Amino acid sequence: MNESTLFLITFVIYIIAAFFYLVFLFSKKESAAKTGLSVVTVGFFVHTLALIWRTIESGHAPFTNMYESLSFLAWSGALAYIITEYKYKIRKAGPYLMLIIIGIMALASSPLMPKEATPLVPALQSYWLWLHVSVTLLGEAFFAVAFVTSIMYLVADSREKKGIAKEGAISSAKLDSISYRCVAVGFPLFTLGGLVFGMVWAYKAWGAYWSWDSKETWSLITWFVFALYLHTRIVMGWKGRRSALIAIIGFLAALFTYFGVNYLLAGLHSYT
Amino acid sequence: MKSIIEFFKSIKLAIFLIIIITIASVVGTLIPQLRSAEEYAARYGQISELLIRLEITDLYHSWWFMALLILFSLNILICTLTRLSPKFRRVFKPNLLFQSETLLAAKIQGKLKKSGSLEESESELKKKLRSAHYRIKETRKDAEIHLLARKKILGIFGSDIVHLGLIVILIGGIISGLGGFRTNISISEGEIIPVFGADFKLQLDKFETEYHPNGSVKDWKSTLTVIEGESPRLTKVIEVNYPLSYKGYVFYQSSYGWDWENPTLEILATKTSDSSSSKKAFVRLGEKETWEKENLTFTALQFLPDFIIDGNQPRTRSLDPNNPAVFIQVFRGEDNISSGWIFAKFPDFSQMHSATETDYKFELKDIQSAQYSGIQMSKDPGVNFIWIGCTFLMIGLFMAFYWPTRDIRFILKETEDKTEIISAGRSAKSILALESEFTRIMTSLRRPE
Repeated sequence: MNESTLFLITFVIYIIAAFFYLVFLFSKKESAAKTGLSVVTVGFFVHTLALIWRTIESGHAPFTNMYESLSFLAWSGALAYIITEYKYKIRKAGPYLMLIIIGIMALASSPLMPKEATPLVPALQSYWLWLHVSVTLLGEAFFAVAFVTSIMYLVADSREKKGIAKEGAISSAKLDSISYRCVAVGFPLFTLGGLVFGMVWAYKAWGAYWSWDSKETWSLITWFVFALYLHTRIVMGWKGRRSALIAIIGFLAALFTYFGVNYLLAGLHSYT
Repeated sequence: MKSIIEFFKSIKLAIFLIIIITIASVVGTLIPQLRSAEEYAARYGQISELLIRLEITDLYHSWWFMALLILFSLNILICTLTRLSPKFRRVFKPNLLFQSETLLAAKIQGKLKKSGSLEESESELKKKLRSAHYRIKETRKDAEIHLLARKKILGIFGSDIVHLGLIVILIGGIISGLGGFRTNISISEGEIIPVFGADFKLQLDKFETEYHPNGSVKDWKSTLTVIEGESPRLTKVIEVNYPLSYKGYVFYQSSYGWDWENPTLEILATKTSDSSSSKKAFVRLGEKETWEKENLTFTALQFLPDFIIDGNQPRTRSLDPNNPAVFIQVFRGEDNISSGWIFAKFPDFSQMHSATETDYKFELKDIQSAQYSGIQMSKDPGVNFIWIGCTFLMIGLFMAFYWPTRDIRFILKETEDKTEIISAGRSAKSILALESEFTRIMTSLRRPE
């Protein structure tokens, strides 16, 4: 038994969960979705074990290279999904979110990702690594849920307008409101982890709290997009389509901050 | 003046500025910043001059980006201030005279008739609201009771505290930009250097590198002593992530390196046919070393820490000792009998060229060189503003989103020994939760006790 076995078991459990969700999607049997949720929850616990194992094995936080951070992102996604599911009962979002989580897991297990736990370069040896990365990814996981519910909103909304909404489908109004709740939970977390903890750590390690490094700039861009979402919504009363589009753009910006910057732009955060 | 305030208090301006600043930030990450004019010309051709003139090549410090940030700060400030006094009024002196039409026009509203007197209904309602943690204000108007139930009321100021925090952060940024500086220095063990603009000096007592078992660097540690006048004031070991702060200056361990100008090279010369005849020598570049037994002299002419052949020319790939190599010449009397590169990591791969066949083997056994510590020295008078601003920012965000204010307004009036209750709920940030709570309270009121 080791970390990669646990990771593999998690992966398989998530695939089984996705299978139940797909059955639910096509057969509309509530029981399939319920089974799916329990399976995801089991997978989440195995995944947690895998992360703890990794931490003990490597002696550092489980998100210092792409493989680890993808695995942690999938874990955060599962956590955010389980929380929103228990709170708002968004069964229909389950299949799509599971596909995203499985996609992330597949990416993490691809042979292109080096999996060896390498010793940390000096700049990463700090407890701020834990605070900065985990809180940021948790915030981003909520943005991911908002992303999925926003896309579902767009579909539900166009169906309702055409009058072809299916019986028992989640109303577009509810999806809109869940998207907002997820952004409202994710935004303070992202601000704290990504920007504030990031600035404190940057000041300690690099001697400057802000350097307009490309990852810093892109997380600011992500923050601005979600600030735009909140202001247009709370102050100007935007809802529905326009809000959904901004949330989608915001998540794509977060995704680019996470991946694109590492592979396409150079900067201080180039740890791969 | 009034029109200026009108201009700055507009939320549309805020939205516009957020979009423009976001787009500019994106552009700044796509176009490489602070490169040479030649590089821009090669990359962008004719428009490169335009890019340089518009300061897009140093976008985040350009006058127009600064202007946008200042406009944005003013916008935030004035938006927040103009919203503050209505908010104070709403919190501390709320209007308790509601119109039933206004309440019924709200998104979350309800109306019911209840048996029992006005007073009975009032006390039942208040009990229910209190158990749901609402605070109540009320007034009587003619035969009506107007009741305002609120909770988490301070959450209403969350956004203002966020905005205050942002302004403090922007002020801190300006102070850092104007009054701060940052510079990198190299300092060798034992060296004392003056600190720019300060009345003290810095001495490096000791520098060491720690390695992981696999050979990669674990940490760099510099023991620094602050010297004021002639006397040492403070000694601290700094490492990456753990800097030294003194009188507003901060010293960071940022890099390390070797002084390759003057290495000491350990060279072992052996006679191939008779390995008992050998000579070990510690040589410096240019010095002649004599091997009396074999009547030879040799000298090291050039040292490269990371040898590579680049178009027939040897050069060093980096300043790290990845592939140390030294060029040596061997003489017997005046005759150069052999010369070439020898490698510390590849002793069998020496490239010695000889006029005639020689019987000697030269090996580079070790290299010793002074290491220097790379220290970043900085002074940032704005940094405390940043931390204060960040604290406000986070307190405000958590207040606004995790402590969302909500209120319910009620009008109670007596009609034919029944009580009519009209009510409406209001919340900018937790409509869903309020809606379910509102329904619960209204349903429980309908039921007779």
